[in-house]
Amino acid sequence: MSFLSGLFGASSEPIEKEPSASAELFNSTTFRSNVQPSSSSSSASSSSSSSIPQPPTDQPAVPTQTAPTALDAFGTAFDPARLHPLAGLSENLELLQLDEDKLNDIEGSASVLPSRGWTDDLCVGTGTTYLSGLLIGGMWGAKEGLSRPLGNNPSMKLRINSILNGCTRRGSFTGNSLGVLAIFYNLANSSLDSIRGRHDTYNVLGAAALSGAIFKSTAGVRPALVGASIMTAAAGAWSAFKNTV
Amino acid sequence: MSHGDHSRDPCPYVILNDFGGAFAMGAIGGGIWHGIKGARNSPRGERFVGSMSAIKARAPVLGGNFGVWGGLFSTFDCAVKGYRQKEDPWNAIISGFLTGGSLALRAGPRSAFGSAVGCGILLGVFEGVGVLMNRMFAQPIPQMQLPEQAPASPSPAVA
Repeated sequence: MSFLSGLFGASSEPIEKEPSASAELFNSTTFRSNVQPSSSSSSASSSSSSSIPQPPTDQPAVPTQTAPTALDAFGTAFDPARLHPLAGLSENLELLQLDEDKLNDIEGSASVLPSRGWTDDLCVGTGTTYLSGLLIGGMWGAKEGLSRPLGNNPSMKLRINSILNGCTRRGSFTGNSLGVLAIFYNLANSSLDSIRGRHDTYNVLGAAALSGAIFKSTAGVRPALVGASIMTAAAGAWSAFKNTV
Repeated sequence: MSHGDHSRDPCPYVILNDFGGAFAMGAIGGGIWHGIKGARNSPRGERFVGSMSAIKARAPVLGGNFGVWGGLFSTFDCAVKGYRQKEDPWNAIISGFLTGGSLALRAGPRSAFGSAVGCGILLGVFEGVGVLMNRMFAQPIPQMQLPEQAPASPSPAVA
């Protein structure tokens, strides 16, 4: 959460991005290596000393510096020794592993916003649903407040108060209910994704049925089944709409 | 966000994320809190029923309160960032002030101002603690070894 990040997420070190004097110096410096590229010199000496005529080479072989490091043995994809021979990067090199930045890699789960896992899905999905519920409920309450009778001496102040009361009553109720439903749905969806290892329409339908049933579970079996079927129908309609678009 | 957090979405979209995160935090935390409280306040034998009804009645409301607070804060934070073109602790303090003020707006200007100042102070304390923690736990940046200055007439590297 951003408003708590000052308290909890502040341990990340600031990354220096300004062009510093050392970076300018680094770029303006020509690195002079006393290490002769061994492959080119050896080929030159062998061609001069051998009696067998060899085809003339137009350009010398590209000196490839392959210093054997411990990383070669492990066969990692990123070889720091290739950066520069004088940089001395082959040892004491710490690589930053940004696990938080990894995107969601479950198959077929790409959506409008890039997601970094189930917490991101939960937050964005719940936020969108809650906000739309708040807006819809607010409009419903505003309509109700606009048409409510005000008694024998109506005034503008009373009308505004009535509208605001309607907004806060209907808006918060609709938003809260939809938001809780979205929490259930997103939790079920992410759980099904990780259990099955991929994301498809069956997951959506199953998660919708589960969330509808949980949301209505305290009212009895019949309302729970009704809620599950309504949610499944809504999710199926949404999936069909998304597939056609 | 005073430290340039690059692991989050850019500004207009992060509002949705914060709305949902705050709502989920309030609703789930409120579910746990009111579940325990409802169970403790119920007579023996009806603890589960009391707990469930307390959760149903109060957890969504708490989630809504959290969500509105967090979403308004994030909206104001984005607006303040866009206006000031800066990221520092003052962003959070200003948006806390605005959030507290706008949430208490219906109680009158005097009460709104008091609430705004309270929220601003709270966020100021949060940011101050964050800065202090950052100072305490940050490792010193190691001194970079500078290479030799190049000579005036650079000779070819492979002689």
